[in-house]
Amino acid sequence: MRVCCGLTGHLELARRPDLYGAPVIVGRWDEHVVAASEETLPFGVTPGMAMRQAEHLCPQATFVLPDEEAVVRIRELISSALYDLAPVVEVRDEGVAWLDLNGVVSAGESIREARRRLLKAIGREPRLGLAPGPFSARLAAARARPGRLMQVDDASAFLAPLPSRELPLDPEQLERLDLLGLRTLGAVAAIGPRELESQLGCDGRHAVLLARGLEPDQLEAWRPPLFTSAHRQFGEPVEDREALLFVARALCGDLADELGLRGAGAKHVRVRLLFESAEFEKQEVIVRHPLSSTAELFGLIGSWIKSWQPRAPITELWIELPVLEGAGRRQLRLWAGGDGSSDEVTAAMERLQERFGDDVVWKPQLLLPIHGEVARRAGGAAPEGL
Amino acid sequence: MQEVALESAINSIRVRFGSQALTRAAEMPPPQPWLSGTPVDRLTGIGGLPRGRLTLFTGSGTCGKLTLALSVLARATHEFAHAIVIDGGGFDPWTLPPYSPEPGALTVVRAPALEIAGEAATTLARAGAGFLLLMGSIPEHWLGPLESAANRSGTVVLGVVDAPDRALAHASSFSLGFSRAEWIWDRGQLVGLRASARCVKNRVAPPLGETELEICYRLGALSVTEASVEVAEMEPCVSAVV
Repeated sequence: MRVCCGLTGHLELARRPDLYGAPVIVGRWDEHVVAASEETLPFGVTPGMAMRQAEHLCPQATFVLPDEEAVVRIRELISSALYDLAPVVEVRDEGVAWLDLNGVVSAGESIREARRRLLKAIGREPRLGLAPGPFSARLAAARARPGRLMQVDDASAFLAPLPSRELPLDPEQLERLDLLGLRTLGAVAAIGPRELESQLGCDGRHAVLLARGLEPDQLEAWRPPLFTSAHRQFGEPVEDREALLFVARALCGDLADELGLRGAGAKHVRVRLLFESAEFEKQEVIVRHPLSSTAELFGLIGSWIKSWQPRAPITELWIELPVLEGAGRRQLRLWAGGDGSSDEVTAAMERLQERFGDDVVWKPQLLLPIHGEVARRAGGAAPEGL
Repeated sequence: MQEVALESAINSIRVRFGSQALTRAAEMPPPQPWLSGTPVDRLTGIGGLPRGRLTLFTGSGTCGKLTLALSVLARATHEFAHAIVIDGGGFDPWTLPPYSPEPGALTVVRAPALEIAGEAATTLARAGAGFLLLMGSIPEHWLGPLESAANRSGTVVLGVVDAPDRALAHASSFSLGFSRAEWIWDRGQLVGLRASARCVKNRVAPPLGETELEICYRLGALSVTEASVEVAEMEPCVSAVV
């Protein structure tokens, strides 16, 4: 198992890239600190403490109100940006992005690309960790410098000297560990899960498994949303087919970029042409093979537009993809040899079959000559000839 | 400011006349060669058939153009995930086994109408098919999109026609005209032909060239009993005598 973790800082902080480098505390008055920038750490500010206490410790910090909706948007953006780099991607509001790289042919390339995309999405270099599981990968990333990767091969050896406060336990449980003298993960790992379970409940058992590097937690794979569309409103009603094709190609390009980011393919395609009278004509199809690239989308939609006879000039062009498929097989980047275009050619052939019938495309079953047979016959014939 | 105005003008031209109406020089990289493993590679001037361009083999009657094209197709099946024949009539897949193709990579598109041939070729080139063999012509209005699609994806497009029409000849980047010089007989059996291949158009590299080809038909396993051992073991199907 290989998991890459990218640490970017809490996503609340990513809302205000202009404040990078300055102490920032996110939270509502009379509540707890939701997020605090690294610059507040020397003052003793930590997430979860009372805002008044944080203000007292670091009065020079900029105080920002939380915005949960914006955080969800950023999380979706990062998830979609990373989706085609690994079969399983999970992003959390705390600024942790995990990529399960098991089965990925070129893991190094995925990690480099993840770093680049995280930098583009957040605006600052992520810390990267590569380890056998999510917990150890996160701790490795926390110890890496910004923009660098810390790789861990032996999770238990790496975890052993780390403080037990790294365990995902509440402050009371951590205090209890301290009282028990379990101040390192190595000490926690040395005792039996049942012993700690008797002290801390099921969290204790979980903590021992984590400290031993057994990684009991599984990542929750992010899945892309299921609908998208793009449209263009024309200043003047359009009758020219070439203009429609030009616009359709541009819209297909936009949709393909979005689908690429989401790692999705369109299973259902609908095109609507709106007229001045507010009426519209539409064509739609459910394709056998999900479409995700500009070539695939425009191959289908362009062929419709070329044969379309709209009854009036067009004021608006809509391309809707009501059903998206986020199947792993559309993660083209992950294919061995990067042979993603092979998939597109197969999809193009299926589209031709849909348009002109199954018989249009066929694969001949060729019987190749057997060289052994040739040699045998040649060799057998020689004595007779002699 | 001038750049913005120029960009706006370019976009207007593309909206008005289509995306193919205007292409920036920077968007047209020099053609990359694909090694077909035949003497034709030397005639192109770039060392192989041009990727993203249309190549034509022309010539009337039996002059070896289809034999050479089948040899190139067989080679393409080994090098590309998809080698596709757009069959406007005249392609018999059973002539291919003697060239030892990779059957999994070969697909045939039967196009009963020229329109279907044009759309199929363009669609597959746009999708990124590695090699397209056009058996026959395609309508003029599909040539532009085909050129453009092949150019973007780097598809090698090879057309085999007796006499190309004006539009097809104009669209091709490299055109080779074949003419038969004589048949080759071996012990009373027809084993090939000698043909001259003359480059009648080359937009990818100067100069035009000419060569003489000795094309030996491959004799399959079933013919071995009738053929001599030497012929059965003969590996290259095309040899050049320049």
